[in-house]
Amino acid sequence: MTKLLAVIERDIKKFRRNPVVVVMSLVMPILYLIILGNSFQGKLKALPIAVVNQDSGAYSARVIENLRAVETGAKTFTILQIKDQQSAVDGVRNDIYKAALIIPPDFTKRLVLNKQPEAGLFIDNTDNISAETIRNAVGGAIGAVRQEYVSIREKPDGIYLRNVDLYRMVDYYQSLVPGVVIMAIFLGTMTAGVFNLVMDRFLGANESYLLTPLSKSEIVSGLVISGLSITTVIATVVLTVSMLITGIPLSIGIEQSFSIFIIIVLTTLALLSMMFVLLGRANHPRIVGIFSGFLNVIFFFPSGAMYPVESFPGWLKAFAKINPEAYAVHALKSVLFKGAGLQVISGDIIFLIVFTNIMMLTAIKTFKRTL
Amino acid sequence: MSEHNAIEVLNLTKKFGVLTAVDNVSFNVAEGEFFGFLGPNGAGKTTLIRMLTTLLRPTSGKAVVSCCDVSEKPKKVREKIGVVPQAMTSDLDLTGYENMDIYGRFYSIPKKERVEKIRYLLDMVGLANRENDLVATYSGGMRRRLEIARVLVHKPEILFLDEPTIGLDPQSRRVVWEFLETFGEKDSLTIFLSTHYMEEAESLCDRVAIIDNGKIIALDSPDKLKAEIPGNDIISLTFADTAKFEAVQNAITNIPFVHKVNIDGSTMRVYVDNGAHNLPSLIDSVKDSGGVVSSVGIHQQSLEDVFIHYTGKSIREEEAKKINFFIGAGVPQKFGR
Repeated sequence: MTKLLAVIERDIKKFRRNPVVVVMSLVMPILYLIILGNSFQGKLKALPIAVVNQDSGAYSARVIENLRAVETGAKTFTILQIKDQQSAVDGVRNDIYKAALIIPPDFTKRLVLNKQPEAGLFIDNTDNISAETIRNAVGGAIGAVRQEYVSIREKPDGIYLRNVDLYRMVDYYQSLVPGVVIMAIFLGTMTAGVFNLVMDRFLGANESYLLTPLSKSEIVSGLVISGLSITTVIATVVLTVSMLITGIPLSIGIEQSFSIFIIIVLTTLALLSMMFVLLGRANHPRIVGIFSGFLNVIFFFPSGAMYPVESFPGWLKAFAKINPEAYAVHALKSVLFKGAGLQVISGDIIFLIVFTNIMMLTAIKTFKRTL
Repeated sequence: MSEHNAIEVLNLTKKFGVLTAVDNVSFNVAEGEFFGFLGPNGAGKTTLIRMLTTLLRPTSGKAVVSCCDVSEKPKKVREKIGVVPQAMTSDLDLTGYENMDIYGRFYSIPKKERVEKIRYLLDMVGLANRENDLVATYSGGMRRRLEIARVLVHKPEILFLDEPTIGLDPQSRRVVWEFLETFGEKDSLTIFLSTHYMEEAESLCDRVAIIDNGKIIALDSPDKLKAEIPGNDIISLTFADTAKFEAVQNAITNIPFVHKVNIDGSTMRVYVDNGAHNLPSLIDSVKDSGGVVSSVGIHQQSLEDVFIHYTGKSIREEEAKKINFFIGAGVPQKFGR
């Protein structure tokens, strides 16, 4: 036991003596939150659209009015009215506009005569996400031209969808918080734990380590436990700060707080032990660097932190089934947003425990006690 | 295992792929002996130490260190030995005291005993006033002293040092030697030291093994090793002119105590037995054959000469090291074998 404590103390002391690393491990996940929240927005905003209105009739004015309503309301796009059709289309080609809407001279006339009116929408379709949004928004504005004049009274035979929110409102920014906490844990497990082993090996310091009577399991579990204590603190701080930034109420019950703590601890253990299996024999910190970039992407994106796991293709869904981050995100979301208790997330917890056990045993088994 | 041997090695071999780093080596080290391992770079010294200290598994052969076979009971062996590897292995982010304390805890030494021993050792190696400074602020010599002190915390029976003075300035080197002598005598430690510095082996070791290409080519006390090579002293005679060179050479080559004569410009190098005693009669013979000597030098053979005698003069071309295609050099190869 003294031996194990000595391994842990050595590791934590060394980590603490690098204040830059400590600060970066805390600040970087929060920056992630801010950058992710503002670049990967839930809904697109302020896409520039050129509108060329060659029609002087009432309906074309109506279309533009509808577009203006979107511009001021949902702010999906900003509208620039220009005269010349050619320069509008060129503007799309030159990346000045995301799309150009051309309303031909006979638009109102054909609409009145019921002769299938047409308007041209030139879209920069290389930008997939914005193209889809513009198509829907402009389509809506044009489609709504006539309905405005229909009586507002509801049709008696229509079917209405009543939207019922089951939980407290969660905006896009808030919905990123579980993912960011998982990312903080990931970063922590990359800078603590196995990284220190690789660094010792690289510097040759592990030689004196291996010459002591420490056993394999003392070395591995010592580094995992020190990594756990470092990462748990980081993740808790990141979670609290993220909740404050995004406005998630901090007043959560004792059971929820306990559940969150359990999730953080188990996720950290799962990732730390997995890193030991993957990198336990690496001898150059650069290998850890390359791996951490790669692993972050392949575990984070299919975790359901950004997009629902249910919409993944089958093979990716299968991967999410064994991805510890997916279970962690699910559990954290349940507790943070739905106020779920331990019972609801017991499946996630059991998975994380089983996963950690398998990885720990593999890590100790494959750890090389010789040079 | 005999009662008085600390280390017994029998037919020990280590192969790395096609390269045989240690080739069928056998020797014993007695308890309390200061044993030196002398060899050029790449001779297999580090590989041998790593096998004896359980860091590498032998390909074949047997090595018993202290109580046990290194392959069968590595943990028991580790408890009995202290090892100072070639690379600096103290933690830069910890203070000198912390380095020693954590190391002592790896051996489960009780706190009271540990603190006393650490204070004593730090004092011995002259680091007591720097014990609370981070090792990052230490010089190379201080770090090495700390590392030697560190492996003595758990009172090992056998101390292994792999080129402990490499890269140190002459002062630090001398300080390290002094410790080793002091500690060796005080605690009747068995010390196993590898080096490629002749003077180090000569001044410290009871016995020296010369290793080259993975094989032991000579093993004896420094004095006996020196005595073994023919013409153990060299007398250099510098002549005013080389006119009578041939006559002089013919005359002295026939003297019984002369083994060899080498000519280098106007200097003659004469390999003789017992140079100090035989010098006057050598000069007489030179005079008799008409030579005029302008200066005389006498040089006792050092272990260096022994070393060169056994291993040959040329610097060995080291075999191309195998480097993993995917990983590259990885660990600096200097410490790789």
